[in-house]
Amino acid sequence: MRNIYKLLIVLMVSSAAGNLMAQDNISTFKPFLEHRIVAGLNFGATAPMGFPNTIRAIDGYWPEFSPALGYELSVRASEKWGAAIGVKMDFKGMGTKDEVQYFHTIITVQDGSSTGTFEGLFTGKNKTIARNAYVTFPISAVFTPSNNWRFSLGGYMAWKFSANFHGNVSDGYIRNGGPTGEKVIVDEATFDFSSEVRNFDVGFQGGAERRVGKKLSVLGNLAWGVRPLFPSDFKGLDFPLYNVFLMLGVSYKI
Amino acid sequence: MIKRTLCFGAILATLFSSSCIKDAPLSPEADIDSFIVDQDDLTGAVFIDEANSRVQLYLTQDAYENGIVPRVVAIPGATVEPANGDTLKFDQVTGAGLTSYKITSQDGKYHKTYTVSVVNIGVWAWDFENWVVQDPSKYMYPIEPDSSVIWSSGNPGIALAGVQKDPKQYPLRDTTEPYHGQYCAVLETRGGTALSSLVGIKLFAGNFFLGVFDSRYGLSNPLASTQFGQPYRGRPKRFRGYYKYQPGPIYQDKAGKQVAGATDSCSIYAVLYGGTTRLDGTNIQTSDRIIAVAKLADASAKSVYTRFDLPFIYLKDVEQQMMLAIVMSSSYKGDQYEGAIGSRLLVDSLQIIHQ
Repeated sequence: MRNIYKLLIVLMVSSAAGNLMAQDNISTFKPFLEHRIVAGLNFGATAPMGFPNTIRAIDGYWPEFSPALGYELSVRASEKWGAAIGVKMDFKGMGTKDEVQYFHTIITVQDGSSTGTFEGLFTGKNKTIARNAYVTFPISAVFTPSNNWRFSLGGYMAWKFSANFHGNVSDGYIRNGGPTGEKVIVDEATFDFSSEVRNFDVGFQGGAERRVGKKLSVLGNLAWGVRPLFPSDFKGLDFPLYNVFLMLGVSYKI
Repeated sequence: MIKRTLCFGAILATLFSSSCIKDAPLSPEADIDSFIVDQDDLTGAVFIDEANSRVQLYLTQDAYENGIVPRVVAIPGATVEPANGDTLKFDQVTGAGLTSYKITSQDGKYHKTYTVSVVNIGVWAWDFENWVVQDPSKYMYPIEPDSSVIWSSGNPGIALAGVQKDPKQYPLRDTTEPYHGQYCAVLETRGGTALSSLVGIKLFAGNFFLGVFDSRYGLSNPLASTQFGQPYRGRPKRFRGYYKYQPGPIYQDKAGKQVAGATDSCSIYAVLYGGTTRLDGTNIQTSDRIIAVAKLADASAKSVYTRFDLPFIYLKDVEQQMMLAIVMSSSYKGDQYEGAIGSRLLVDSLQIIHQ
């Protein structure tokens, strides 16, 4: 997994550098820097890649208020090619209601010096709210085909500064230990896995920007996390979740 | 530009298409849904102990002698072996003839074998010499000389609260400080776990009772999961035994806050009531089915083994079908999650004297 991140970074840097060098022979163009303020809202999900068959129905989905605000520094190396880095405060949130069947979970709790665990198979309803906040550093190769359009593709690294992953299970039962364990009715029970959310996220991102004013553009940017939200030793959910969010917003050139 | 748009479109399409709901999984569950026996053959309702893969039957004299023809119903999708229709016969003296049913899950990957046992309390006296450790939760419970199980506790519920899998971590277990014999029962009030405090339980009183623990209600209604009593015939006169009690140092209320000046006390009583279905923690002291009660009045600290000999006080006359419960707790208000962590009750040599 770590190698994938390295590869990603190398690819981005080298493609940007390659573009810079490729433009050396154009003497009339002078490279210049651009500064932008970017603001928007994130829409998306902290979701599995393909639903496991233990998820039987999605009864509801809603985006949580997830603002993003940041600054981007870009260098236009040639008329059409450049590179950009940025820093962004990114909230990524959503809520969902679903129904699951035979859903495997292991909940580990620290009790002073001892560790308690509960393992079981849950069948019933689930409601989850995920709202995590990151400081994100996107890095991109930028293609500017015309005055009006601007496209970027690259990756991002993000450090979490606040985590929220909680919800409840209801109207069902859990089998203690596994499929042959005793049935325990669950009217309603809450869970909170916030403290388990990983500190670091990394992924791909790309977007398109359309100029609508002298300095103002509207933009969309998809950020696709490739690192599971929870560490591999976390067994509360038996499948990995990834942050996949589309930011819709504006950028203002300063 | 169009290519780019198409590219993003393709990414989004992948996201949504891979998110479709898949076909339902085959059930991995292997369990008995119901074990149906002719009501005339029973002295008490059948108890399916899912945690210990045991069906407990309480049979009349006739049913012992002639056998029964139960109808065993598995949960949807699962299958039962042997199929229904066989007569089960039980030998009252040796306990021979006990049988088992194998349940196979719908997906074929899981099996659970239930042992059918007949509970027949011959002598209403206990020294608590034989204890076993439940697998996989590792809590203890006492068994009778014929290996049947008539005593239970809150341990199976506490096992659901993320307690460490170690007999010493549970409120009820054996100990080698007996009044008589080698072992006795010790009930110790303990602090809640991180998981139990999520549902507002900050304290587990040690409890120990004649009856069964129905795990189904262990989380949603813990008091209803402690089901008190075993079938009884006759007229009990006295409830005798020995106990030792040391209250814990700090009394706390349900919220876990210290209550200044309060001291914990223990609780020991027996209740005779009418019917074949069990009373539970919600109604054992209030039900109008109660026929007689024998209750320990002085529940304060006792540093040495102290004898109790309690008369049954009758509220009404005995009935044909009755159940008798013995209920003990290391914290008097343990059913309200109040008490002192560390309160310790030892009980031994219990006996019901019949008229």
